[in-house]
Amino acid sequence: MKIGLEVHVQLPTKSKLFCSCSTSAEEPNSSICPTCLGFPGSRPSLNRRALEMGVEIARFLDCNIPEEVWFSRKTYFYPDLPKNFQITQYDSALGTDGCFIVKDKTIGIWRAHLEEDPGRIKRVGKSGEEVSLIDYNRSGIPLVEIVTAPDLSSPEEARIFLQELLVELRHIIGTTAADEQSVRVDANISMGSERVEVKNIQGLRNLEKALKFEASRQFKMLEAGMKVIRETRRYDEERKVTMSAREKETEEDYGYIGEPDLGTFSVGVLARSMSTTETPLRRAQRMAGHYALEFSKMRQIVLTSMPLADMFETLAQNVEPGIALAWTLGPISANWSSLLPRLDEQMRTDLASIITQVVNREITDSEARRRIGAIASGECPNDLSCAVEDELLGTIISAYIDEHPQVVKDYSANPKSANSVIGHVMQVAKGKYNSQEVVEAVKKEIEKRKN
Amino acid sequence: MKSVARNARLKLTEAEIREFAKDLEDVLSYFSILDKAPDTGKHDFNSVPVSNVLREDEVSREINAEMLRDSMDTYQDMVRGPKLT
Amino acid sequence: MTCLISTEKLTALNDKYRPFAEIAQDLKEMNEYPPKFHFSAKDNICATGFQARAGSKILEGYRPPFDATVVRKMREANGILIGKTNMDEFGFGTFCTNSAFGIPLNPYDLERTCGGSSGGAAAITALLDKHVALAESTGGSISCPASFCGVIGFTPTYGRVSRYGLIDYANSLDKIGLVTRSVADLKRFLPVISGPDRRDPTSCVQPELRLDGPKVKSVAIPEEALQNLDPAVLRAFETALDKLSEMGIEAHRVSMPSLGFALAAYYVLATSEASTNLARYKGMLFGVRGGKIDQSFNDYFSEVRSANFGKEAKRRVLLGTYTRMVGFRDRYYLKALAVRQLIIKEYQGLMEKDDLIITPTMPFIAPRFTEIAKMKPLEIYQADFLTVPPNLTGMPHISLPCGYEDKMPIGMQLVAPHWEERRLLDVAERWCDDFKIRFPEVSG
Repeated sequence: MKIGLEVHVQLPTKSKLFCSCSTSAEEPNSSICPTCLGFPGSRPSLNRRALEMGVEIARFLDCNIPEEVWFSRKTYFYPDLPKNFQITQYDSALGTDGCFIVKDKTIGIWRAHLEEDPGRIKRVGKSGEEVSLIDYNRSGIPLVEIVTAPDLSSPEEARIFLQELLVELRHIIGTTAADEQSVRVDANISMGSERVEVKNIQGLRNLEKALKFEASRQFKMLEAGMKVIRETRRYDEERKVTMSAREKETEEDYGYIGEPDLGTFSVGVLARSMSTTETPLRRAQRMAGHYALEFSKMRQIVLTSMPLADMFETLAQNVEPGIALAWTLGPISANWSSLLPRLDEQMRTDLASIITQVVNREITDSEARRRIGAIASGECPNDLSCAVEDELLGTIISAYIDEHPQVVKDYSANPKSANSVIGHVMQVAKGKYNSQEVVEAVKKEIEKRKN
Repeated sequence: MKSVARNARLKLTEAEIREFAKDLEDVLSYFSILDKAPDTGKHDFNSVPVSNVLREDEVSREINAEMLRDSMDTYQDMVRGPKLT
Repeated sequence: MTCLISTEKLTALNDKYRPFAEIAQDLKEMNEYPPKFHFSAKDNICATGFQARAGSKILEGYRPPFDATVVRKMREANGILIGKTNMDEFGFGTFCTNSAFGIPLNPYDLERTCGGSSGGAAAITALLDKHVALAESTGGSISCPASFCGVIGFTPTYGRVSRYGLIDYANSLDKIGLVTRSVADLKRFLPVISGPDRRDPTSCVQPELRLDGPKVKSVAIPEEALQNLDPAVLRAFETALDKLSEMGIEAHRVSMPSLGFALAAYYVLATSEASTNLARYKGMLFGVRGGKIDQSFNDYFSEVRSANFGKEAKRRVLLGTYTRMVGFRDRYYLKALAVRQLIIKEYQGLMEKDDLIITPTMPFIAPRFTEIAKMKPLEIYQADFLTVPPNLTGMPHISLPCGYEDKMPIGMQLVAPHWEERRLLDVAERWCDDFKIRFPEVSG
């Protein structure tokens, strides 16, 4: 089975590709202007940020990037296309001949280029008799189209490819959940010698379903000795089947010409001026290799947060990677939403030294967890003197229970036996700790000693 | 001629097809003079170089969307279009 | 609104000569201070308060919600837009006979054409004192009518004037320019309409407009331009060359072999681009709408287009669709792009030695409508052979009245290198100091 995808992702710019309309709009036909409606007299002008994002993506996919690019008109007639031509890049893609690695398999990327989205058609009426209602909010939104080689070999693999690609794009250009939901794919799939194109599949889940259905359809035909015809189909989300797309019967001759209104763009210079940052999955791959740990665990870390991966790598300098991993995915990850906003060098050092101390058996496991929690809740200022004070509490409790082991034995039958410890601590510590803290610490220590 | 007309979404009568076919034949045979011209291989789309003119990614709106909607044929704020099949 | 001319007077003029597709309704004649000036705009230039139909039925009812940049600039400079002038449909034509809203009649002889496609603009400028017209040229649509109507037609460098708000014919060839009665008006209004506009990226690469510079000393005449001319035109042209020589401007004969390819290259590019520009006219969103919406979209589109495009528009759409099709694209579209660059190079080479290129503007005086009716499409295209080359190359050019045959005006055309409008203004000023323009007698 051979599957190739043409993926269309909306770029998270503020304004549209060729006009200053907002890319986020709620009510139908509320973010429109003469340009994205194709009114006579209107004219396009290229969004700088969209071009930059496109180049960032081409670089990420290891594409060859030409010195200059331009745009072309792809002419065809459809109600959702205001000008009846789409401004796209025909013989001038931002990048060609790249690749993307998914689970150790290299998927070829033939090209990545920019183009404008058409409007959104709502079909109303009986099937086969539908009329169109069109919302032009979507018309002119920037899209990057990424075309793969037919290197994918199963519907599941295709879904994973798209999933991982979207993870990386999130990091590179800041695509949001909304952009990901609106991803559209045209898929080419062949079981035998003829390939079928399934157009306009929306979203990850539909992609896998549509391909599974189509693969199965082709398989059944071949089994029955029938030939699979080369055609264009579309996926019906409700009925979960692919259907022959009767609408666009005749092969359209797009009659490409250049778009004179926009001119050319020196993307070679632009690409060379960009710095490379490591994307999440690539980092996960690197860390898995470097630390000899499972990719899925590394992936979990980077997908939580890249600074969490930084924290992990800091820990891994000081303790064995497996232990660093356990603490990272454990208490640190659990407290991450509180730690991250105030994360700085000092905090990183503090956390690292806590883990080191626990490994060296200088403090207990639960003490370490408590300290991490304390840092997270900001009760304790980020310096070790405070941690030392808390150590005092632990020392007081431990010392007393060492002298009065009966407390532990009596505790199961009578929890009130803890009161003697609590009272002692409150007296000795002279109000340094609130009673709640003391009660919890005492109970914890007793529980620990019981086991 | 028929396929050109279909591509251009023009419905022509038989007489028009004949007439336009003749016109196109005349003009295209005149165009063949281009075959004799040397090929510079330069395919600039404009007569003066236009490059690197970019617009900042800012939202601005100059014309009221409601006014634009009112000028179009809409149903519940969506634009009406013809049948799809 | 107060203006130097009233709606009544304009309507009377229009009844006789038909330069306007639409006239401003509320103009009252009155002198006032500070003085406003009046201007017209070719009907492919969008202006609020007016329809913009570009000479085509398919745009009936299109009321643009914005001003073209040039209209906004003229209005900000205290101008009153008094009307939209008649033109060939979308600019497709040389005689303004392809106009759906009235064919303008030559003010010197009502049986003759005004020229096209900016026929109405040239007519009203010839008829109305103190008027300046915004016009547009793709292949010569300012020069030709200026020549036939005995007025000054100025086509700036491609990219000098913003095309935002111009209804497209061919994006790499369209230029907005001026038709005026004097060089003083030219010098006054060219800076008003010129300048970068972020809404039209092609207007953002221009160097600053200069009006003054070193005096023009010599002009070059391509031999190829002197073929197939009406004897009257040739006579007037040679007389003009003598006069220029007396003014201190030498004329040299040169050869421009690539000129022979210009017409073909132009029509290939113009029709290719036009056929895509016209794809948007499908009975939705603007212009003519309301056909049987319950038919399949391809049928719906075909029906509204076929019913509302004129014959020449259909012809050019068919031509331009063909030249872009797979299998023909390389031979026509791509080749034409390459040939354009060739011709640009040749012009530039010649203008290193001479300051300007000079030719007659049109090969004949304004033909009669009866004669035009007998011309075949290819013949009509070939009438543009003198105006097309500078339009193809995007170089600025001017048509100046240089003589009369009987009463009919004859024009000469000067071409400057890209961005060197000032050379044209220099010669125009010196020429018009001496040459007396004979404006037509206006009745009614």
